[in-house]
Amino acid sequence: MKRIITVTLIFIATIQFAKAQQTDSLLNAISTDNKHQDVLGAFKATRLILSPTTATIQKNNLNVLIVHRFGDIASPNTGAQTLYGLDRVQDVYIGLEYGLSNNLNVNFGRSTIGELLEVGLKYAVVHQSTDNTSPVAITLLGDYGVNVFNYYGNPVKNRSSYLGQAIISRKFSSNFSLQVSPIFLSTNTALPNYLSQDHQIFALSGAARLKITKRMSIVVDYEHPLSAYNTNKANGFVNPLGFGIEVETGGHVFTLNITNAKSISEINSLNLSNSSYGRGEYRIGFTISRIFDFNKHQNNYK
Amino acid sequence: MKIITIILLAWMSISQVGQETYVCKNAKVNIYSSAPIEDIEATANTGVSVYNSATGELAFSVPIRAFHFPKSLMEEHFNENYMESEKYPKASFKGKIQEHIDVSKDGTYPVTVVGDFEVHGVKQNRTIKGNLKVVNGVVTMSSEFMVKCVDHHIEIPQIVFHHIAESIRVRVSATYMVYKK
Repeated sequence: MKRIITVTLIFIATIQFAKAQQTDSLLNAISTDNKHQDVLGAFKATRLILSPTTATIQKNNLNVLIVHRFGDIASPNTGAQTLYGLDRVQDVYIGLEYGLSNNLNVNFGRSTIGELLEVGLKYAVVHQSTDNTSPVAITLLGDYGVNVFNYYGNPVKNRSSYLGQAIISRKFSSNFSLQVSPIFLSTNTALPNYLSQDHQIFALSGAARLKITKRMSIVVDYEHPLSAYNTNKANGFVNPLGFGIEVETGGHVFTLNITNAKSISEINSLNLSNSSYGRGEYRIGFTISRIFDFNKHQNNYK
Repeated sequence: MKIITIILLAWMSISQVGQETYVCKNAKVNIYSSAPIEDIEATANTGVSVYNSATGELAFSVPIRAFHFPKSLMEEHFNENYMESEKYPKASFKGKIQEHIDVSKDGTYPVTVVGDFEVHGVKQNRTIKGNLKVVNGVVTMSSEFMVKCVDHHIEIPQIVFHHIAESIRVRVSATYMVYKK
């Protein structure tokens, strides 16, 4: 009799245990494990050093960009004399980027070099997804630039530039992101204004971001124009290359960088970069990006 | 006779499975941080829960990505910098209701739940108070409790110290259905 009771108890205990297991497996079964999600934060800012990124500003958010490029650090008559270039401001870019939707941005910017005004649209076509149905994010950028002051008596048409770019990025791990962009640039009066200078340029740019702490990353950015003028070394064009540290603090992203390119806008840097690391013509630059959110706070629980 | 008893007991034990299991697929989880500079609030509506009224077992799970904030940047920071949702995609609770509740009777029952509360990959044994309500046979549960960021190794940097509270208020509510296979 005792044995039978023991067996019964064990039997019931086993079933109870099975039921305990069931709670767990049932929880897993009803969890809608949404594997198909957009990968967040391949790039923290909409701009690295030279290139725009696949990141877009979210709906009703405004991004204010202030970008600086200082003077040469180590070319003749610089160094300590110009406080390593800090006395010489080469280019300043003030930009506004507004999110019409989460995927569509309208951009506006102004550069010192060439008094270049730019208006552009940026559209995130594809987002990278967590289940790799889309292994990359693709963002398209179209930009119109005009040198607002009348250089060489040129009409507006001749002072206009058009830029089209497809930015393709992938976040390989939580710490490492890479992007590549084919670029087409058409400049009606290209600077420097030489006869041999190409008016239409195809270019490639590549950039990478490596997170070293939760809020700090190392970024590298490179541009490679493919036009005959730019690739001919005799013309003195040097491909822009930048290294930087990106720091994120709440709504700000701050990038401190070293680059050889004097100009900030791609329209300028793809045409007229002739500063070389070898000649000490590299400079300190920074980017401040501050996002303002105009979405209304909504308390959806109380 | 003895054998019949055993079989009967066993059968009763098995047949109870399913009858007493309640599930909820749209549990609402709300988090609220009150700090000197700003109050931040986010809600997730896709939490899941399983409740076994016979054993008192209660389990909750909510995907971190399901929390939606009024400001999109907050949501990104929440996932990337604080919760690290790529590494720890879910917050969960697995425990037992201490009181025996007869869910066949309508009423409001204060309950105490003891179990493992896991957030950001860190498990804490918690005793959480809540309410279980039965109205016309429909079981609902609600609870409000505090979670200390430190307890779950969620770091708040000095620079945003006045923006994010050290303790986050969590409110959970779930309406259950009888689980049918």
